[in-house]
Amino acid sequence: MSVVDDVRSRRFGTAGLVAVAAVVVAAIATVAFGVPLARIVTPGYVARSIQLAAPITLAAVGGLYAEKSGVFNIGLEGFMIFGAFFAAAGTYFVGVDGAVGAWAGIAISVVLTTVLTVLFAVLLIRYKANQIVAGLGVWFVGLGLAPFTASIIWGSRNSPRMPGVGRLTIPGLSEIPYLGRIVFDQSPLVWLTAIIVLASWAVLYRTKYGYWIQAAGENPEALDTAGIDVNRVRYAAVIFSGAMAGLGGAVLLAHSSSFIGTGQTMVDNRGWLGIVAYLFGNYNPLGAAAAALLFGGVDMLQGQLQTINIDVSPKLLGLLPYVVVIVVLTGWGKTRVPSSVGEPYESEE
Amino acid sequence: MSSTGDGDAQSVLDRLPERLVDATVLERLGIAVASTTAAILVGLVIVAASGYSPLLFLNNLIVGAFGSERVLARTLRLSTFFVLTGVAVAIAFRAGVFNIGVQGQFIVGGLSCTMSILWTAPFLPGGTVGGVALMLIGTISAAVGGGLYAAIPGVLKAYADANEIITTIMLNFIAIGAVSWLITNPFGREGTTVVQTESLPENVRLPPLVFGDANFSVIGLGLTLALVVAVAAVMTRTSFGYDMVTSGYQASAAVYSGVDAKRTIVATMTFSGAVAGLASALYVIMFQGRFVEPASIHTYGYDAIAVSLLAANNPLGVIPAGLLFGGLNSSSSYIQIYSDVPVQLIDGIVGLVILLVAAPELFRMAAKRAGVGGEDR
Repeated sequence: MSVVDDVRSRRFGTAGLVAVAAVVVAAIATVAFGVPLARIVTPGYVARSIQLAAPITLAAVGGLYAEKSGVFNIGLEGFMIFGAFFAAAGTYFVGVDGAVGAWAGIAISVVLTTVLTVLFAVLLIRYKANQIVAGLGVWFVGLGLAPFTASIIWGSRNSPRMPGVGRLTIPGLSEIPYLGRIVFDQSPLVWLTAIIVLASWAVLYRTKYGYWIQAAGENPEALDTAGIDVNRVRYAAVIFSGAMAGLGGAVLLAHSSSFIGTGQTMVDNRGWLGIVAYLFGNYNPLGAAAAALLFGGVDMLQGQLQTINIDVSPKLLGLLPYVVVIVVLTGWGKTRVPSSVGEPYESEE
Repeated sequence: MSSTGDGDAQSVLDRLPERLVDATVLERLGIAVASTTAAILVGLVIVAASGYSPLLFLNNLIVGAFGSERVLARTLRLSTFFVLTGVAVAIAFRAGVFNIGVQGQFIVGGLSCTMSILWTAPFLPGGTVGGVALMLIGTISAAVGGGLYAAIPGVLKAYADANEIITTIMLNFIAIGAVSWLITNPFGREGTTVVQTESLPENVRLPPLVFGDANFSVIGLGLTLALVVAVAAVMTRTSFGYDMVTSGYQASAAVYSGVDAKRTIVATMTFSGAVAGLASALYVIMFQGRFVEPASIHTYGYDAIAVSLLAANNPLGVIPAGLLFGGLNSSSSYIQIYSDVPVQLIDGIVGLVILLVAAPELFRMAAKRAGVGGEDR
């Protein structure tokens, strides 16, 4: 179990370091340059950042399960695009207005994305497809077919306005200054994401299924010897990853107003950030969520800086997460990749 | 190999491309044809399911790629970009380095080409002599720009163990954003809201010769083919190429025979990026005549991955594969104008080609089941 212990002892390592760095930078900015921090980090800003982080978190949690089991699902971006599109189409065809319609869309989206992921998993596991190339293929199929189908349905690559899920306001608690707005007056999907993160952490590190998943990626022969079907474990993990990416796309849609299929689509590289978030969080769901929060915060920062008249080009500020990713991979690049990632497993019979 | 865990995992990722080239030429050809045919068939089913005529769509695909001299010129023009970017990908994949960053290298190379020409033009004479000199300067700058931009992930992979798949994709996003900002602000054209640079001088252009299409030159096509042959020769006939290919096939053997693995990674990426830059030089000089909003440039660098895989990462095989993609994208422009079928379908079909090429086992099993054989190959 030394491998598992090693991973767990470093579980918050990278994400923790970056969180500390972020606080230090913020403190320097406040003290040395007189940046009015209180006007940037408003409760509304934090609440919105968390909402933006939720889809990235979900994709990251799914992706780390797949990779822990030994399959690199590089198609998260594509599955998120499908997720967002299916949610919009689902809501549209159910035709119920209000939160019920939005929830129906989310449910339909998760089911349909899961079906697509089953096909993908068969291609990867049964037919031993090259995981990286097939994952890129999924991205392209998503980038092409989601806007294509949107054009067929709505006559435009963008959908009409869709209902959202609203906020879950807890009376009394939501009156707490600062924290009330952030935690107790929040989108129910943020709560759902938090529950999924905690549950997936518990399953991965506290149950035998979690150990099976880790063993499938670290030492598949041993798992096979123990009488567990390695490929079944991998199927489960890959299908879970697609379902989570689909849910991530659906959450993204529910937090905005309509499906956007132009350019990089509304997903706009969040699936890629999901992959980076779990590498960054060293394959730990909690670390991945922390990293996703960082990306969400940076994403929201630009509008926030404009409100206090600091004019930064949105194009340049938008590059910040990508630069952070490269710096992190370089500085703390020694993320311990599960040793059998990318290798199809064939039982010796 | 100080820490064994990291080393093992890295070598696992390094071995990935190897499996793709582990097949005979004939088998690869069969897989390429089968993947493309299957992807187009799925596309036709989708067309039919959406209530359009699949026969008309198929007809548009062919007419839109080869139906007239005008579309043929367009097909050939697009093919040159796919062939060159495809060769850039093939160089890296052959050497076992996953350069997904050809799109970014194309963009950076194109900008260096454009800006170097615009900056040096006032100091050179007009006319043909000045034009040729400017094109040479632009081409060299493009190769240097693309090469250096590709060297970054190469260095990060070799010396900091940073996964090049992720870093090259991130650098693509950074190239798009940063170049877009550059040509909106300091390098932008005065007095226009369109995001683009100033136009290149009149004398910087390749004469069309055979085709009467100002956007395509047979000289460009000839240079493309010459470059492909040159790259193929470097890969198979020089010790540099031999070291690269050996590193890709059998990293430990290469190291044993005295190859510096880290330097080979950096050299491979630089070479690959330089070719991506050359693709962009052709794109700027032959086609655009300026540099445009990078987000609006077709995803040549990503499609090039499919082109290279279809060709089993063989530089010469990239020529027919590039022609196929040139044809598909040429039809895509045609379909956009003459048909109601949303053109994004073509992107989806390209994605399916990539997905299917990734799974050669699928066709091997299918062939076995159909009794075509394949065991004896």
